[in-house]
Amino acid sequence: MIKEGALPLDSWRLAQYAVQSPCYICETDNIGDAELCHRCFAPMALAHQAQTQKTPPRMFATVGASGVGKTVYLGMLMDMLSRQPNHLQALARGAFSINLQQATASALARGEFPSKTPTEPDRWNWVHCQVRSAGQKTPVELIMPDMAGEALFEEVDHPHSHEVIHPLLAKCAGVMILIDTVKLQAGSLDQDYFTMKLLSYLAELSTDTKRGWLDRPIAMVLTKADECEECFVDPTGFVQSRAPGLWQQCHEQFTNVSFFAAGVAGGCAYQTRRGGRVRVPLRVEPRGIIEPFEWLLKQVKG
Amino acid sequence: MKNHTEAFDVLAGLLGGVLGTAALAWAALRRFRFRAVTARPPLDTKAVAAEMHGDEPLAAQPANADVGSLVEGMLAQGRYALLLRRQLVSNLTPEQSQAAKEALERGMSLVPEGNVMLGTTDEDDDEANRGVVWHVGGLFLDRYLVTNRQYRQFVTGRGYEQMAIWDPQIWPAMLEFVDATGCPGPRYWRNGGYAAGEDEHPVVGLSWYEAAAYARWVGKRLPSEAEWVKAAAWPVPISDSRQSQRKFPWGDTMDRLRCNLWGSGPGRTVPVAEYSSGVSVGGAYQLIGNVWEWTTGNFGAGDCAGRDLTLPVPMKSIHGGAFDTYFEHQATCQFQSGESPLSRKHNIGFRCALGLCDIAAPRRSCRVDEQPDDEARGTPTDAASFDEGPSTMERSDEELAAVAQGDHA
Repeated sequence: MIKEGALPLDSWRLAQYAVQSPCYICETDNIGDAELCHRCFAPMALAHQAQTQKTPPRMFATVGASGVGKTVYLGMLMDMLSRQPNHLQALARGAFSINLQQATASALARGEFPSKTPTEPDRWNWVHCQVRSAGQKTPVELIMPDMAGEALFEEVDHPHSHEVIHPLLAKCAGVMILIDTVKLQAGSLDQDYFTMKLLSYLAELSTDTKRGWLDRPIAMVLTKADECEECFVDPTGFVQSRAPGLWQQCHEQFTNVSFFAAGVAGGCAYQTRRGGRVRVPLRVEPRGIIEPFEWLLKQVKG
Repeated sequence: MKNHTEAFDVLAGLLGGVLGTAALAWAALRRFRFRAVTARPPLDTKAVAAEMHGDEPLAAQPANADVGSLVEGMLAQGRYALLLRRQLVSNLTPEQSQAAKEALERGMSLVPEGNVMLGTTDEDDDEANRGVVWHVGGLFLDRYLVTNRQYRQFVTGRGYEQMAIWDPQIWPAMLEFVDATGCPGPRYWRNGGYAAGEDEHPVVGLSWYEAAAYARWVGKRLPSEAEWVKAAAWPVPISDSRQSQRKFPWGDTMDRLRCNLWGSGPGRTVPVAEYSSGVSVGGAYQLIGNVWEWTTGNFGAGDCAGRDLTLPVPMKSIHGGAFDTYFEHQATCQFQSGESPLSRKHNIGFRCALGLCDIAAPRRSCRVDEQPDDEARGTPTDAASFDEGPSTMERSDEELAAVAQGDHA
């Protein structure tokens, strides 16, 4: 038996499609219920959340070569800030903002490093959080994506190959550039060259001295420093001696650069799995994770 | 009086012991090197003697008083375990012997003989991943981690120049066992001393070899992995084949108020007598948290979890977690991690052990190797044999001579 009936016309649905919502990153118009921006693949939730704020969220980028530890650093930073009832706290805005710290902490607890971030921007993890610091009445709204090193590499070599990176970095209030200490210590120049390319890319994003990158804060973070104790003692001296080209460029092109050392694993070993030999942490004891972020926050607020 | 004379004869004999040529050469090299690096003034032997034995220099005292002050000096340095050795204990006066025994009781907790399971103890794990039961002989374990103050006694007592207490294979690396200013000592010290106010903090920034040398200097040794776990987990047999082991020294549930871990402490080391609520059944403090502890076990040897790890360098097993240990499950009695024996990290310290058989039962000896081999964890139950071979804690007169001679160098 067939029942006939009339469906009500939800005109508000049509209206929702008619009103476009701009992406927070690339400002391209998207339909109201889009999950990701159709152009840059940034989550539209960022734009929706930003509309509810009086002041637009700021953005920090975490960049560096592939395998340098961006996911581990960012995931660990978020997990520490959300677990530590100290002078700096982070409150995630939206469930998607917890994905990164969940994936990172779960992997580390299993005695593994998290899997590599896929190159496709629609599979990146984004964090939108509210950061409260002691003595500050107003919390800071922050957006931080976990970008893939390969995508950054392609973008730096072939600008606009990834629609999201250029507008994101142009809008960022500060950046954390991660450098692999182990490779630097081993004498590999790849880290040096790639970081120099990244700095050149940033410098060319805008030539405007006020809006450009020349005065914006740049935290250079030496990752995996747990394997090189001298890094913690004097990170600036370490870069000066191991990556003189990078050191020179920082000094000549940028005015607000600071050097840090960070490590998450207290020790590492190798494990043979189906995919081959992988590096695994023997224990997790984060060190120097919060300091670069705290410095960036101070610079931005100041 | 007779006892005193004999004791003096023994010690005088020890002082006359002959060190190996290589040891002397290395000692000379060390002295030359450190003088060159730090331009340290020549050693004031009177000052050293006064520091070790009180205000009165040894030379000004009669022979029996000399022995007495030597014993008192050793007690003050926490080297009571040396005095309780069967080679020396019979030469002590009853008062000296009693003082040494009291020092032992104050400083060390008793861990009874028995079995302990190393590796996972979870009932949910399949048989293949279950741990292995080891037998541990009775022992004393330091109640507290070795402190900066205690380790300074070793440094000022010229422990870094007494080659007999160092493994010969490590002699070439000893020139790098210096502090931030180039003086012999832990990595984070300056000018042979630690930061003000950190007397009772655990000493950190020293390699496994430095920890082992200190342990020998005080007449003890580092605990084996099985001994450490037994002291912390305090296993209780519930049937012939099974036993109940604690996950943490205070029970089976993590309580962050009982230990200094990431997020529960100040983010740095704390004095060794803090967190008294986290004390083990036997009375050992801070087995969990504050700093990781060196053991004689080799990390990865007999790994029960089936992780099939390849280590970049051979590693020694460390236990207990530290003030910056992030995950609770990495700060359990069972969890082991590894570190290169040459590493001098900010969060690794140690405590010492002493076999019951080495002092309490002279006829009996137990074997706990400090050499990197598969036996370093302790003794497996199926191969339990405690009266085989000499104790590694037993010292020949020459070895003791070298230690004693170092005191007077």
